[in-house]
Amino acid sequence: MAKPAVILVGADKGGVGKTTVSRTLLDYFASRKIATRAFDTECPKGTLKRFHPAITDVVDVTSVPDQMKIFDTVESSDAQVTLIDIRAGLMTSTLEALRDIGFIDMTKRDELTFAVFHILGPSIASLDEIAETSKFLLDARYFLVKNFINNTSFFDWDERTYNSYFNKIPHAVEVVVSKLSEMACEQVELSAVPFATFIADKKADGEPAGNSFVLRGYVRHWLNNVFAEYDRVRLTDILDAKDAASKLRGAGKITEFSPQRANS
Amino acid sequence: MSAPSIDRYITAPRPEPLRRGGPAPIYVVCSPNRQVGKTMLARLLTEHYMADARPVAAFDLADEGPGLADFLAHHVTIPNIRDIRGQVRFFDGLIETGNVPKIIDLSHREFANFFTIVDKIGLFEEARRRSIEPLILFLIDPSPVAAKAYGLLRRRFAGISLLPVRNLMVAKGLPYCASFPHASTLVVSLEISMLGPAARALVEREKFSFLDLGKQASPYSDMSVRTRAELDAWFRRARFQFREIELSLIREQILTALQVDLSAGLQSALAG
Repeated sequence: MAKPAVILVGADKGGVGKTTVSRTLLDYFASRKIATRAFDTECPKGTLKRFHPAITDVVDVTSVPDQMKIFDTVESSDAQVTLIDIRAGLMTSTLEALRDIGFIDMTKRDELTFAVFHILGPSIASLDEIAETSKFLLDARYFLVKNFINNTSFFDWDERTYNSYFNKIPHAVEVVVSKLSEMACEQVELSAVPFATFIADKKADGEPAGNSFVLRGYVRHWLNNVFAEYDRVRLTDILDAKDAASKLRGAGKITEFSPQRANS
Repeated sequence: MSAPSIDRYITAPRPEPLRRGGPAPIYVVCSPNRQVGKTMLARLLTEHYMADARPVAAFDLADEGPGLADFLAHHVTIPNIRDIRGQVRFFDGLIETGNVPKIIDLSHREFANFFTIVDKIGLFEEARRRSIEPLILFLIDPSPVAAKAYGLLRRRFAGISLLPVRNLMVAKGLPYCASFPHASTLVVSLEISMLGPAARALVEREKFSFLDLGKQASPYSDMSVRTRAELDAWFRRARFQFREIELSLIREQILTALQVDLSAGLQSALAG
């Protein structure tokens, strides 16, 4: 049995694309047949749940019962990966709560894998967040995600300033999510399905959707770039599933990507 | 030209076998260079279909005149592929009406942009899945740019018919094999033969149509019998080659259909 993994996707700042990155991660794991469940902390309405309803629960991550629902079941769940999409402003407090309940200590004992995808915005405030967040994550996998999907130019950043923050955290890994055309992005939002389902031209119920093939092509191209980035940082390796991952890589192309897998 | 695709994870759907029925290919008439005869070939092709009263859709992606639309104004659409809305309109439309042959006259300036988009969105794979055969008709010339672009297309769109077209007015004596190896299952080669100066001057006049050669109005009334005969023979020669392409496509369709039937028969025999 592979070691369970908990992946936290968050940022203290809003509108930086946390849910978008969560969606790409769910598609990525689905494409690699890694059972995943997700928690959407945009309580009560939910955002991630719109796209991946079958595997997503909306929770209030600040409430103890919901924290129990997530963290007490990490090892007993059928899903190897537990992904938590943390709403804006709750990243630091969630990490504090995880430290207080001893969850972070579990990762030190190597009982599970803990990874944080910290989505960076274009402002200098995002860099301050890195310092704030990294102190909790000495034994966690820490991914700093530069999300360009909304054409973020990171205009506030001085490269040297960024590097000074980045270099303070030797185990941090940078991930870049490239830009997707606004129109394609908008259409997937409207379709309210996983990216992979949109590419396969299906609706949530599996019926043909009749999406523009140009837009599907752009989304496919973009998602493949994102997947390549996740491969580059050896994301599947952190799940302690090296054999499975290398077999998949050896197999080359995944020619059929079932949208059902992304939903189930 | 884009770098080799990294679409290693989610590929476009596997092509379906070609449908039975008349071929309605997408012809992309192209070259990275100007003044090599792209618009002329696109005109000949369009008028080839029009001559038989067959439906055809022609697209002018030339950004300098005179373009295809200047000669066949009522039959040509000018798309805009510079923005995504235009791309959706053009490329989605291109594969939606699969029963009409499409001819794209691609400007040398749009060459890289067009094929980058085609690569990203998987146009040719999607067309094939819908039983539409894409054919790249590449006007060859002696420049190294042409040879390099041809090689890039050949590598990037392996499996797609890439036909070198020799326009004898610019590429006389230029061997195909060295820089422009035939890259198609269609065993045809295209050649645009030479035209005398008088005939050439006539065909380059805007609004000139091969279909109107029999008309008595100007400029057709001004031409000599010899020029008229030369143009008529020239158009016929071109059409003969286009028919060869169509025949090759039909043969490919039949072969594919036979292979599908054969493998289905084998599978059911094995299952039984």
